[in-house]
Amino acid sequence: MYKTEKARPTLRSVRKQLFLMTVGFVALIIAVVAIVTTLIFAKTDSLLKSKVISLTSSLNVQMKLNLDSYLSRMETVGTLAFGVKDAYTYDASDPDNDEYEALNTEKDITDELNKLCIMDNFVDYGIVYRNNRTVGKISNGTTNLLGEDMFDKLSAMITRQRTKDGWAAGYLGNFKRIYYVKRVHENALIVLSFYTSELEAVFDNPETLGDMDIRLVNSDYNILYSARKDETGERLNDDILSRVKGKASASVMDDYYLVTVNSCGDDWYVICSIPTEIILAENNEMRIFIIIIALIAALTAAGLGMFISAKLTSPVKRAVSLLDVKATTDQLTGILNKQSFNERTAGRLDPKLGSESHALILLDLDNFKGVNDTLGHVYGDKVLAKTGSILKSEFTTEDYLGRIGGDEFCVLVNSTPPEGQDYISYITERCEALKTAFTGLYTGDDSNYKISASIGVSLFPKDGTTFDELYVASDKALYRSKKAGKDTYMFYDRTKDSEVNG
Amino acid sequence: MKCKRLLAGLTAFSMILSAGSCGNEQLVRSQNVQTEITLSWWGNDTRTEYTLAAVRKFEQLHPEIKVKCNYSEWSGYEARSRIRMISDTEADVMQINVSWLSEFSEDGTGYYDLSKVSDVLDLSNFSEDYLRYGVRNGILNAVPIAMNTETVYFNKTIFDKYGLSLPETWDDLFAAAEVMSADGIYPLSGVAKGLWLYSIAYAEQKTGKTFFTENGEPGFSQDDYRTMIDFYVDLVNKNVIPKTEDFKKISIASGAYAGTIAWVSDAVNYLGAAMDNGNEVIAVDYTAFDPADSGKGWYEKPATLYAMSKNTDHPKEAALLLDFMLNSKEWALLQGVEKGIPISHSALDYLEEAGMLTGLQYEASEVMANNLNLREMDPRLELTSVIDAFVDACDLVLYDKATADEAAAQFMAVCNESF
Repeated sequence: MYKTEKARPTLRSVRKQLFLMTVGFVALIIAVVAIVTTLIFAKTDSLLKSKVISLTSSLNVQMKLNLDSYLSRMETVGTLAFGVKDAYTYDASDPDNDEYEALNTEKDITDELNKLCIMDNFVDYGIVYRNNRTVGKISNGTTNLLGEDMFDKLSAMITRQRTKDGWAAGYLGNFKRIYYVKRVHENALIVLSFYTSELEAVFDNPETLGDMDIRLVNSDYNILYSARKDETGERLNDDILSRVKGKASASVMDDYYLVTVNSCGDDWYVICSIPTEIILAENNEMRIFIIIIALIAALTAAGLGMFISAKLTSPVKRAVSLLDVKATTDQLTGILNKQSFNERTAGRLDPKLGSESHALILLDLDNFKGVNDTLGHVYGDKVLAKTGSILKSEFTTEDYLGRIGGDEFCVLVNSTPPEGQDYISYITERCEALKTAFTGLYTGDDSNYKISASIGVSLFPKDGTTFDELYVASDKALYRSKKAGKDTYMFYDRTKDSEVNG
Repeated sequence: MKCKRLLAGLTAFSMILSAGSCGNEQLVRSQNVQTEITLSWWGNDTRTEYTLAAVRKFEQLHPEIKVKCNYSEWSGYEARSRIRMISDTEADVMQINVSWLSEFSEDGTGYYDLSKVSDVLDLSNFSEDYLRYGVRNGILNAVPIAMNTETVYFNKTIFDKYGLSLPETWDDLFAAAEVMSADGIYPLSGVAKGLWLYSIAYAEQKTGKTFFTENGEPGFSQDDYRTMIDFYVDLVNKNVIPKTEDFKKISIASGAYAGTIAWVSDAVNYLGAAMDNGNEVIAVDYTAFDPADSGKGWYEKPATLYAMSKNTDHPKEAALLLDFMLNSKEWALLQGVEKGIPISHSALDYLEEAGMLTGLQYEASEVMANNLNLREMDPRLELTSVIDAFVDACDLVLYDKATADEAAAQFMAVCNESF
């Protein structure tokens, strides 16, 4: 990149402004799309969360109703035992019982109780007396669990004083069964139980909500039922517990979990939970879709904007470019004007780059004043224009060509000689070519006015390392060419040119 | 040209819009439809737990099938099963007792003909000798799981404490009771059915008759029934056993009972807690007058069988489950020897590979397999009504409400009506 570009601040400034405008426009489009997209995300998240909370809350209520209904039915079946007269009048712990009659009464009660519970999956459905004698169906599992003082342990499960009954699970850490106990009379309790796994049907959630964890916990937040069998009996994990602890009916949703809770029965709670990321998984797919659409929209808008911008600014660019050309170019010759040439040349010559070779060729038309005076300025201008053409044809686009005075031209040779040719020879060749080009140059109405040029050449870095140094050197060489009879070229020679000057 | 560009631009824009909108399209979301089949069984906690776990494994392997389970402990299960069978609401796949075959499938049509699903149910794992237990009138109604018999188990730790050897004869039992009763310990115990079959074994050995003759007729006279009643009353009165109504399984673990009678398949259920308490429990030879006659008067039968409902709407799915229950590695390893030593060759191989052919139930199975005197049980020996009548008759004598002869006569009337 030539430092010379600094020489066109106006054009640079205009281009920069255009670039900034374009970038600003694209940024604006992206910002608008990003803001709109963010607003859409926020709104859809809000709507989705609201709907999911509502649905989950409804599911939880439905599960609670299912459970209430199930437990109520169990209680009803238990209460049916009061339809068996002996069941609420007989007392096996009465020491006055006739043993044989008692035996037969117990058989009768057992038969009647068995009929009442026959179609349900009860593990226990029987009566336990204060002396721990049992009638009906009392399972080995329950006998093993509660041991010899079964009556007292079952009595402790009664929590509702009005109906003298209660539900219990987790005795001694055993969560296999859920018990319902109801007092029959002072010395008798009816006890029924079912396997906790029976609640699978109660808490069977739809396939579409398969990721939802549904748990039943007691007042200590120990899990009585969970579809994850391994956590039955465990304490509800802290992540879920911290969100619902102390709440009887609530729905909580944050970045990590959606949890709903509803109390039921004897201080039991139905708790539904699902990680938020699962809920938002589908939403994330939608987000990706929206982002893709937004990107397409943004790119389309930006492309369209850039296209329109380019269309709108191209006349300005052209005008600016034209002005720039006019500002830097000599209109008559089509080569650089003095200021531009000086700036570019000064920018190109770097004293630190001593290994580079340049030549500054200073060319002055011989007797040009005579042309103007004799033939008029029209012919003079033609000669100047022709000189510009000659310079363009004899030098490459790498070289800087400039008109630096009325009839004074300057060339900074930047091009390098072909391989095998030394630099002096190369420059000499260029000068010879220039001289030859002027050899057949005539002007005037009859084309009889001979035009020639005197040329002075200095070399970088030998004769100078700055434009000013080289210019002075070339000027001295040019002077020597003039003195030698014009129409020739001279290389700066420190010894000779010192004499000249001296 | 400009119009074309504009048109192209509008088209592209409308395509983008249409891609992002679903406007008025009807949204249809289908649920996976599962075929629901039902499975019923009876059993203790252990059986229920592993069965539920195995069913879940089956459902994982066959997500298109949902298995609804119906289960409870034995008490009351038989009556429920009867209602289900009579009301055509029985489960698609059922655990059944061998006696139900004659009760519900006299002509072989009461249960599904399993030979029709032999493309799904691999019957090659079962020898004909065992499959015949499930055949009624030439039709394969059920497949047996394992063989079973009532077996006597003694808590050797308690007997050692008293310096007694484990009873082999009836007299040994009474002798043991004389020693242990001072401490309120019974050398033996049992539920009604166990003591009923125990009394039959005693009476058959004593009379030389069989309860049913070879042609299926009742083989016992009133005197023979009285022999059974007397034996039971003797057992109670001489503190060999508690009355069956007073039987508490927990007393086995507590050491109040030094022995019990239980099915091979129930050994751990009844005696597991006692063993957990550090007692050594032994499955002994079947009690007899002479140890050389051990097994005479004793009967064996399939532990339980699996059958399918004759009314099932989903025979293929039911057969898939049945095959999984009988022959799969998953089920075999979960079930272990809980129901006895599996008859299915593949299930047996899986257990052998896993080193699971050990423990009290395996030892009891070995006692059964090594005894050549055991005979095939007539299903009528398990009729609850007859067993209850026997206990009632015994109670009459125990409580001096009737003489042994009167009780035997009353009981014989029930037998004649039932058989």
